[in-house]
Amino acid sequence: MHRIRAIVENTFKESLRQRILNLLIIFAILLIVVSIFLEPFAIGESPKILRDFGLAVSSIFGVLIVIIIGSSLIHKDIEKRTIYTVIAKPVKRGEIIVGKFLGLFFLIAVLETGMTIIHQIIIFIYEGAFDPHLLIALPFSLLEVMVLLGILLLFSSFSSSTMASIMGIIFFIIGHGSPDLKLFADQSKVVLLKYIAYVFYYILPNLENFNLRIELVYKLPVHHDQILFSLCYGLIYTILLLYVATIIFEKREFK
Amino acid sequence: MESAIKLEHIYRSFKTHFWQKRKLVLEDINLEVFQGEVFGFLGPNGAGKTTTIKLITGLLKPDSGKISIFGMPRDSLKAKQLIGYLPESPYFYDHLTGYEFLKVHALLGNCKDYEKKVYEQLEKVGLKSAANLQLRKYSRGMLQRIGIAQALITDPELIILDEPLTGLDPIGRKEIKDLILEQKQQGKTIFFSSHILPDAEVICDRIGIIINGKILKVGELKQLLKKGIKTDEISLEDWFVKQVKEKDA
Ligand SMILES: Nc1ncnc2c1ncn2[C@@H]1O[C@H](COP(=O)(O)OP(=O)(O)OP(=O)(O)O)[C@@H](O)[C@H]1O
Ligand SMILES: [Mg+2]
Repeated sequence: MHRIRAIVENTFKESLRQRILNLLIIFAILLIVVSIFLEPFAIGESPKILRDFGLAVSSIFGVLIVIIIGSSLIHKDIEKRTIYTVIAKPVKRGEIIVGKFLGLFFLIAVLETGMTIIHQIIIFIYEGAFDPHLLIALPFSLLEVMVLLGILLLFSSFSSSTMASIMGIIFFIIGHGSPDLKLFADQSKVVLLKYIAYVFYYILPNLENFNLRIELVYKLPVHHDQILFSLCYGLIYTILLLYVATIIFEKREFK
Repeated sequence: MESAIKLEHIYRSFKTHFWQKRKLVLEDINLEVFQGEVFGFLGPNGAGKTTTIKLITGLLKPDSGKISIFGMPRDSLKAKQLIGYLPESPYFYDHLTGYEFLKVHALLGNCKDYEKKVYEQLEKVGLKSAANLQLRKYSRGMLQRIGIAQALITDPELIILDEPLTGLDPIGRKEIKDLILEQKQQGKTIFFSSHILPDAEVICDRIGIIINGKILKVGELKQLLKKGIKTDEISLEDWFVKQVKEKDA
């Protein structure tokens, strides 16, 4: 436990001190604030943009951090050879993976919570009341972050950081296209194609499970079943990813 | 005598380019380091010292052969708990302070009461005043010393140092040599690599000489010296150039 804690702390601090992070934070906050001025242009029932925009920014912000910082979590240590002294200590490779994962995850959790608070304040300023209904989006967005970070670490365990980033982006896009993939599988007439599409649909992460924007912006109900399912789906998927990443990382050499 | 490190028939090769044949870097390495001794692992650049050390510390895996640490398989956590390792020209997290850096390694090494251990080590390597300085502001010599501190923080039985003296001024070298001797006095085993003989002469009980991935000689320094290696002026590289030329002739 101490060993994982040491890696978590180190990863948290290290990621926090990355310059790119400040840039992202400033940019995200600006976007949320700017949405106030877009609100009057919203068509139909207001205030939609304020909600949609804030939720989207804070969730994309988390995804960007995962892809930019998450991809270098392991590689920077290998390139700078800082991992040598770590590997030589009585540490399991899996502890390194889990430590890195939790370190960056906690950081993103803190930052997204910050974004959510700012979002709520903006809503309060505009409407004179908070919208606690929106808060459920935060854990869902963090579940998505979890899965993506798991994917990044999986690819980092054997390939380059550029490769990991690219795979992160591809999985993000496919992951959100998952319902379309299912639709394609359902309707495909070619049996082989149908099965291939089904295989991909079930293997690749379905990130739409974590997308509540439509429900929240249009104030539709979010069912308990849906929450429970997404939670289990995210957790199990992430654990599997980290498990495979560990198995691969155990074989890795440091030349 | 119990062996601290035992290498049996170690082979290791590297691929330089993916279309090229693998290049054999270590060929049938057999080496035993005994508990409580200071062992100097000497050889010219590219001989295979760092590769051997990386195999012992688990950074690399051998193609074939067996490595044991105090009779245990080298990648067991138990074996690793007994090892302290300083890599060759180490790079450390720039953004961490000396204190934070040692704390991470103390925790990774399962140290109880890490705070006390960290300050003890900082004191020992003379970096107490630099405890709160970020590592990127450390000088080369300071980095080498904090590197040694992280290796010693778990109070390991076996200390493996890859060129601990390279890049240090005479005072720095003296300090590190003293530190090694102090560890020896406490009954610890020290295995270190170097390619400068005068360094080794002062502190080693035994030396092993590696050249082109093969062990050439292992023995007590004094006995090897009798066979005509001059230690005061000629460096190992010079000596090897002569040996190799003699071999070729
Ligand atoms: N990752 C690698 N890929 C390919 N070749 C390598 C790799 N690492 C080492 N080698 C080769 O293995 C040989 C031994 O290298 P090694 O670093 O072990 O030498 P060394 O004895 O430590 O030398 P030095 O005194 O310069 O530190 C060299 O010929 C080197 O080119
Ligand atoms: Mg070397």
